[in-house]
Amino acid sequence: MSTDHVILEMRSITKEFPGVKALSDVSITVNRGEIHAICGENGAGKSTLMKVLSGVYPSGTYTGDIIYQGQNVHFKDIRSSEEAGIVIIHQELALIPELSITENIFLGNEPTKWGAIDWITAKKTALELLARVGLRDDPDTLIKNIGVGKQQLVEIAKALNKSVKVLILDEPTAALNESDSMHLLDLIRGLKGRGISSIMISHKLNEIEQVADSITIIRDGKTIETLNVVADGVNEDRIIRGMVGRSLESRFPDRTPHIGEVFFEVRDWTVQHPQVAERMVVKGSSLNVRKGEIVGIAGLMGAGRTELAMSIFGRSYGNFLSGHLYKDGKEIVLKSVADAIDHGLAYVSEDRKALGLNLLDDIKRSVVSAKLSKISAGQVVNDSKEFGIAEQYRKSLRIKTPSVNAGVSKLSGGNQQKVVLAKWMFTDPDLLILDEPTRGIDVGAKYEIYGIIQQLAEQGKGVILISSELPELLGLADRIYTVFEGAITDCIPAESADPETLMKSMTSARKKVQSI
Amino acid sequence: MRKILATTAIAAVALMALSGCSTRTDTAGEDGAAAGFAQDSVIGVALPSKTSENWVLAGGLFEDGLKEAGYKGDVQYAGASTTVKDQQDQISAMVTNGAKVIIIGAADGGQLATQVQSARDAGAIVIAYDRLILNTEAVDYYVAYDNFNVGELQGQALLDGLATKKPEGPYNIELFSGSSDDANSAVFFGGAMSVLQPKIDDGTLVVASGQTDIKQTATAGWKAENAQSRMDALLTSTYGDKTLDGVLSPNDTLARAIITSVKAAGKDIPVVTGQDSEVESVKSIMAGEQYSTINKDTRVLVDKAIEMVNVLQKGDTPEVNDTESYDNGKIVVPAYLLPPVIVTKENASEAYANDPNLAPLTE
Amino acid sequence: MSEDTSTRRGALGDLKKIFGSGSSNLRQFGILFSLIAIILLFQYLTDGLTLSSGNLINLVSQYSYILILAIGMVMVIIAGHIDLSVGSVAAFVGIVVATAMRDWNFPWPLAILLGLFVGMLIGAWQGAWVAYVGVPAFIVTLAGMLIFRGGNQVIGNANTVPVPDGFTIIGSGYLPEVGPNTGYNNLTLLLGLIIVVAVVYSEWRARRVQKIMGSTPAPLWVSIVKVALLCAVIVYASVLFAGGRVGTSFPVSGIILGVLVLFYAFVTRNTIFGRHVYAVGGNKLAAELSGVKSRRVNFLVMMNMSILSALAGMIFVARSVASGPQDGLSWELDAIAAVFIGGAAVSGGIGTVVGSIIGGLVMAVLNNGLQLLGVGSDWVQIIKGMVLLVAVGVDVWNKSQGRPSIIGLLTQKKKTAEFPAEPPLVVPDKGTPESARPQATRPN
Repeated sequence: MSTDHVILEMRSITKEFPGVKALSDVSITVNRGEIHAICGENGAGKSTLMKVLSGVYPSGTYTGDIIYQGQNVHFKDIRSSEEAGIVIIHQELALIPELSITENIFLGNEPTKWGAIDWITAKKTALELLARVGLRDDPDTLIKNIGVGKQQLVEIAKALNKSVKVLILDEPTAALNESDSMHLLDLIRGLKGRGISSIMISHKLNEIEQVADSITIIRDGKTIETLNVVADGVNEDRIIRGMVGRSLESRFPDRTPHIGEVFFEVRDWTVQHPQVAERMVVKGSSLNVRKGEIVGIAGLMGAGRTELAMSIFGRSYGNFLSGHLYKDGKEIVLKSVADAIDHGLAYVSEDRKALGLNLLDDIKRSVVSAKLSKISAGQVVNDSKEFGIAEQYRKSLRIKTPSVNAGVSKLSGGNQQKVVLAKWMFTDPDLLILDEPTRGIDVGAKYEIYGIIQQLAEQGKGVILISSELPELLGLADRIYTVFEGAITDCIPAESADPETLMKSMTSARKKVQSI
Repeated sequence: MRKILATTAIAAVALMALSGCSTRTDTAGEDGAAAGFAQDSVIGVALPSKTSENWVLAGGLFEDGLKEAGYKGDVQYAGASTTVKDQQDQISAMVTNGAKVIIIGAADGGQLATQVQSARDAGAIVIAYDRLILNTEAVDYYVAYDNFNVGELQGQALLDGLATKKPEGPYNIELFSGSSDDANSAVFFGGAMSVLQPKIDDGTLVVASGQTDIKQTATAGWKAENAQSRMDALLTSTYGDKTLDGVLSPNDTLARAIITSVKAAGKDIPVVTGQDSEVESVKSIMAGEQYSTINKDTRVLVDKAIEMVNVLQKGDTPEVNDTESYDNGKIVVPAYLLPPVIVTKENASEAYANDPNLAPLTE
Repeated sequence: MSEDTSTRRGALGDLKKIFGSGSSNLRQFGILFSLIAIILLFQYLTDGLTLSSGNLINLVSQYSYILILAIGMVMVIIAGHIDLSVGSVAAFVGIVVATAMRDWNFPWPLAILLGLFVGMLIGAWQGAWVAYVGVPAFIVTLAGMLIFRGGNQVIGNANTVPVPDGFTIIGSGYLPEVGPNTGYNNLTLLLGLIIVVAVVYSEWRARRVQKIMGSTPAPLWVSIVKVALLCAVIVYASVLFAGGRVGTSFPVSGIILGVLVLFYAFVTRNTIFGRHVYAVGGNKLAAELSGVKSRRVNFLVMMNMSILSALAGMIFVARSVASGPQDGLSWELDAIAAVFIGGAAVSGGIGTVVGSIIGGLVMAVLNNGLQLLGVGSDWVQIIKGMVLLVAVGVDVWNKSQGRPSIIGLLTQKKKTAEFPAEPPLVVPDKGTPESARPQATRPN
């Protein structure tokens, strides 16, 4: 391979933090106009590597060389790497919600005329850039008024404005729904056609398999291998084997379901949008759950899955309009989260950090936080019981931490999710609603969480599982409801479900379904 | 067994009591003034915030005067926004520092009783300087200018000024008084009204706004901005088509604020009284704007207070000239009152002849 | 990898356990250390006056009401709010109580109840605006600051209203002299003794609980040194308090303060309500989804603050023997400063009652020491301002460096200084930007 093709080479990068070697002798080579995926479990060092490349960790704080366009470069900050044409788009978008698309694209890089911002040029350029990323919105639209998928495109437009040569995308599709993801991946392919190289970090292996030209796998801060997708005939299992260092026989633990009676029912559930009164986010939905059953809910982003779940869970979303809940044959009215908890419901939210945990708390306090009364005499919390319970969950869920006194913010995503699960298991619920329980969690931890979910069902509890990953639903659920525009469109037993039929029901209001 | 224990305990207690192992002291023991105290004792001076020239001047004079006399002067000002609490704490600190005499220019004379009591308990003599301390028996002396007399002089000056301005009444006037948390405010106002009220009754003077009650005329915190905004309001509400001939102002700071307000409204400057001989006001008088001020020479008052300290130091009783007027709610405080002097443009150079700051202004 | 820092070091680590083992205790150690340093500094500069009987007694009665405010304020700040109205509420309640006793002949114990009741009403008013209407506490209490300052002047005509002698006991009273003449105030000594017993018992109990929990308690010598140190301080202090001028001893206001500190430290640490306050301040949405009734928590926290303000106001009035128009001016600033010096976070969720008390004592000792030295109040303000800035600045800087507190600086090995912060495995980001997250909870 002649060096002409190579735009970027990172050689023997080693980066140490006090007490931890985050990267050890990592090398990658990126060709001109290729899509290069970097795979690895959470904490493997992917993000650190990208921070070294983009100058977040300035030259001198690591050892090794970065050869960019044939030259040894030393970036001292993000600005210097951006000037050279290396632009990073972070997982958490760096856009300002209250500013317009144009203003965001040119933030920190405003075209000026006699010292004042030249908005005419800016808008013209913005229109061109938006056209290139396939976005047809008015550039004056405020960022907060467009969806996450479009925001992602604005980020890329912003990068294009900086005449990017190497685009780094950190989990670009994590927050996107299926169709937005496809559009984004198409766009990345398009950029490749114009000679722009992309480095992509993603947990969605199917996407990587689709778009990447080559894949570098990192494990424990070391380069494991670099694969050429076409030449090496890479598939998902191959990637997983590289990432975890073993092949996962099965991605889902085995389970024989023991399904009992219907014990929880939702009938004709209708909920109004909290701000827009005429918009119904949940429309006349009915569903039921049996003891020991895992019920999946499939739907695209924005279909109303979370809204349905949260409105059932003590009306914590939207304005309740009509509908009935039945548990064990009796109608129940849940006016607050406290009511819901008292009636044996639990809800694990999709956004761990914003809605699931108080990141200032330690593990033991988090675990008991949803049902303090269980370990209290009157108002007084019993410390030793709290510690004992937290310890119990630490062991049974295998939460990796030196002590339950440690702060939850120090845990990895998977372990944080286990704390959230422990918190809700502690309330001893009959029905658990799990909203995207494995989002942003690496492969190994996912497997463990699947095991926990199955155990819960095994104990006779009902589980409602909301997930954007169809394989996850197909692998775990006994029955799957599909949701489209706030209404339940279908109910498919797991045996007869496949991605195609699910996708069809998720994208059209096909029929009004009777619960089976 | 029990008996033995009890006996031992009692014995131990008795022993402790007898041996006086405690450093505990009773109240001062001696009757304050009688014995006198060492020439190099700590003398505390607690003054309100530095928002008025006079307090700043007094502080400097105390500092120098006490040092000259050989004492360890401890002169403290309270913070501008927390005067009461600061002053309480400062007086406590002076007691801790073992001050023999504490001279207090009170921020709020009604809220120092606990501190002056503890000062007395610790054997210190308390002199109320310029402002009386209320509701306590623990004030030994009061030294001040005769404030009722100040008010009388202000009232008279207002009448004189109006007479020189135009020979015949009726005259439109407005009244201002000081902060209602300062006991002196009512005294000034009372003095002035003792002169003005008869003239109001016979129609020579007209308070056009009708605001003659001290609650209406009060200026919270002695603050210029409050006087100015009240004057602004009066001019708007009452003097659209009337002439304002005179204003009774209790001090110079307020007088200048009143003049500023009148000027801003584009009116002729009325006869405005004042008090304290502040530099800016003396300039104003010489320029023919403010009509009068009162010279309560701070030097004389500070000298008098230090003189009292000197007498006390020798163990003698200081001279007082009023043992009837100043009832603070608990006792009648023995007072030494100094006579104030009214100053107008005519007698300014004579009145300030001894004042190094003011004398040049009057030339 | 993300080992708890306290497990790394040997003997020094044990030594630190004298001050407790949790990370919040480590933060408090820094402040406690500063407090001790400041006391010793002034003890030297004032030739021993700082730790004299008379001065300690003064210190307690001068600052007890500010510290009482700090107790309420730390809870408000933990819940993510602020209360600017405390000084005005104190002044308002003060004048109401003083007027009630003067004009309506209320007996003083009844007047105190009246004061607390008025405080509760004011708190309910402000709490309702904050919790149920949803106006930010900053605005509600800014309004309250104006409303109740004005209210004080309306009721009192901006005059000073004296209060009867009986009432003054809560502000300028002392433990009475009883029992045989020992040369000391017996009740104060007894109080000291009770505290010593309590300290020994609580340490013994803490060790027992740790054993039950199966965690390894600090070595026995650590406990013994800790208890011995504490007891020595308590005995020394009680002898000082008991040995003041006859007629003075430990102030009644100090006892009120002590009881409140114990009570609220317990409430914040060990009760469901306390947990809920931290939960609401740490992550309101997560707390609500865990069944916490955040509105009620906010309401109660604001109401509690006003009740404590009322109490503080009455103690001040009792000490001043009169209620005046200047009462409570800029108290809110002193209380807020105490809380932040004591390690609370502006964004809420972090802070302790004991930390705030220590923070308040830092300010108190500083103020008192400077006054003893005869430093003018202008400079005292400048110095206090600098101390506040530096104390919080050091705390913030330490946190950004991933170190828990000053103790971290003292015990960390040199070489780590060359490297920037050790990144946590998972960046504890503040969540995704608002727009990227579904509008999950109901609007408030």
